[in-house]
Amino acid sequence: MNLGGWFFLILSWGFITGLTVFCFLKIFSKKKIE
Amino acid sequence: MNKEIKKRDSWGSRIGIIMAVAGSAVGLGNFLRFPVQAAQNGGGAFMIPYFVSLLLLGIPLMWIEWTLGRFGGGFGHGTAPGIFHSVWQKNRFIKYFGVIGIFGPLVIFIYYTYIESWTLAYSFFALTGKLQTITDQSGMQAFLRGFQGLEKNQFFCNLKWAYLFFTVTFLLNIFVVYYGIKGGIERLSKIAMPILFICGIILMIRVLTLGTPDLSKPGWNLLNGLGFLWNPDFSALKSSKVWLAAAGQIFFTLSVGIGVILTYASYLSKGDDVVLSGLSAVSTNEFAEVILGGSIIIPAAFVFFGPGQITEIAKSGSFNLGFVTMPLIFGSMSLSFIFAMAWFMLLFLAGITSSVSLAQPAVAFLEDEFNIGRKRAVIIFGVVCFILCQPAIFFLGRGVMDELDFWGGTFCLVLFGTIEAILFAWVFGMENAWAEIHHGADMKIPRIYKFIIKYITPLFLLIILISWFLQDGISVILMKNVPKENIPFVLATRLGLMLLFLILAILVRYAWKRRKGKRG
Repeated sequence: MNLGGWFFLILSWGFITGLTVFCFLKIFSKKKIE
Repeated sequence: MNKEIKKRDSWGSRIGIIMAVAGSAVGLGNFLRFPVQAAQNGGGAFMIPYFVSLLLLGIPLMWIEWTLGRFGGGFGHGTAPGIFHSVWQKNRFIKYFGVIGIFGPLVIFIYYTYIESWTLAYSFFALTGKLQTITDQSGMQAFLRGFQGLEKNQFFCNLKWAYLFFTVTFLLNIFVVYYGIKGGIERLSKIAMPILFICGIILMIRVLTLGTPDLSKPGWNLLNGLGFLWNPDFSALKSSKVWLAAAGQIFFTLSVGIGVILTYASYLSKGDDVVLSGLSAVSTNEFAEVILGGSIIIPAAFVFFGPGQITEIAKSGSFNLGFVTMPLIFGSMSLSFIFAMAWFMLLFLAGITSSVSLAQPAVAFLEDEFNIGRKRAVIIFGVVCFILCQPAIFFLGRGVMDELDFWGGTFCLVLFGTIEAILFAWVFGMENAWAEIHHGADMKIPRIYKFIIKYITPLFLLIILISWFLQDGISVILMKNVPKENIPFVLATRLGLMLLFLILAILVRYAWKRRKGKRG
């Protein structure tokens, strides 16, 4: 795999993992917006 | 809100509906379609149009459907005809556009349940060791064709096994829907989704630790396999086909434009959040698709079949990859039956959590618009669908399934998504829509999405609808690629679908007349 491949793999995995963690952490924190 | 609205079913927990919507979205396509699309459309570079489509099309449509569903549920409607009518009460025709939201999932259910049953059957064949006795591509293809009843061979001489597993799968679906939203669908999703992810993670770890299994072929290694999927080819981005493929993948993977999310969200209460829940369902689906789906079939196929054959294998289609290539790969590993079982169980769980969601709109329609009790509605649905499934089983090789997939699984999705987006942003009005989305929300949507939902998403959908129609639609409608001997079957399917749509439209008309009569 070349550098570009690693770049897209890490970026995609990072974005999706980050989004998933963000969503579920927020759900379990149970804070409503004003 | 109308106080006469009868008490409807509801979700037991927030995680329950998120798992149910994610379960509806995570289907066979996450593991079979996505990696092939990515590998054939620019590799890593495919992720650029993919994420652009996710942000401009997928996430907005997810929010639109959750919001419209919750809004319609407040008026006692769980399906698109009633939900659309609640949004645009002055228009007496809008409810007929909503028929697509019952017709589409019903048509997909008819053939999807049959495909789902193959995964259950293959899990059984893996467990009993029958699959592991076949060691080459032609043998595995013959096994699949024999099982599907496309030929008589040493493995199968009739459709007995396929029909048996179809019946079991069908009854399992009916059983789940029979027990309702909380007792059936939510309970299934809460059990099936964690198991699905465990199976996926086990398979991903196994594939990512393959290294170089055959030292005499050092190039056939995992890193090169990942490279085949992820190495970017930026020239692909100049092609409109690649952008269309990415947008299509986002559309199909998130289960938007079908009508099932509308129905699921209609069981929420007015104060329930839709913003964070919708986003969580998207992220769960993307995790299954990009991280798990992208790490299993293509890298594994590359390691076992090498760079020479991988392009050919990727082009051979999703079914070939799932039911021919993967069993062969697992067959050559130690503890093969465990990995083959995990693979087909993963597909089965992905399938059943999607198929129960496809059944729900038609059942909800009977319950909400005709006041039929759930159990009776499920039995009516079950009997009608069992009959409708038969052509897809017995005329599989005659193009019936492709025809059902084109109308129910492609055309209706894009059309329905476009209608929803326009209705939400332009008829409901962006100010109302924005307030409705944020009612009870656990997070605020960035303001840029006000512009995106109003202008970009509908425009994007119209572009997809027109380009896709010009690129593929015309040739399918004119049956350009249908063999002559299959034309009568394709035409009969088309006629049957028209009849089904007409019957649903008449039922909608009758339901509204009945309601009007009761009020009068």
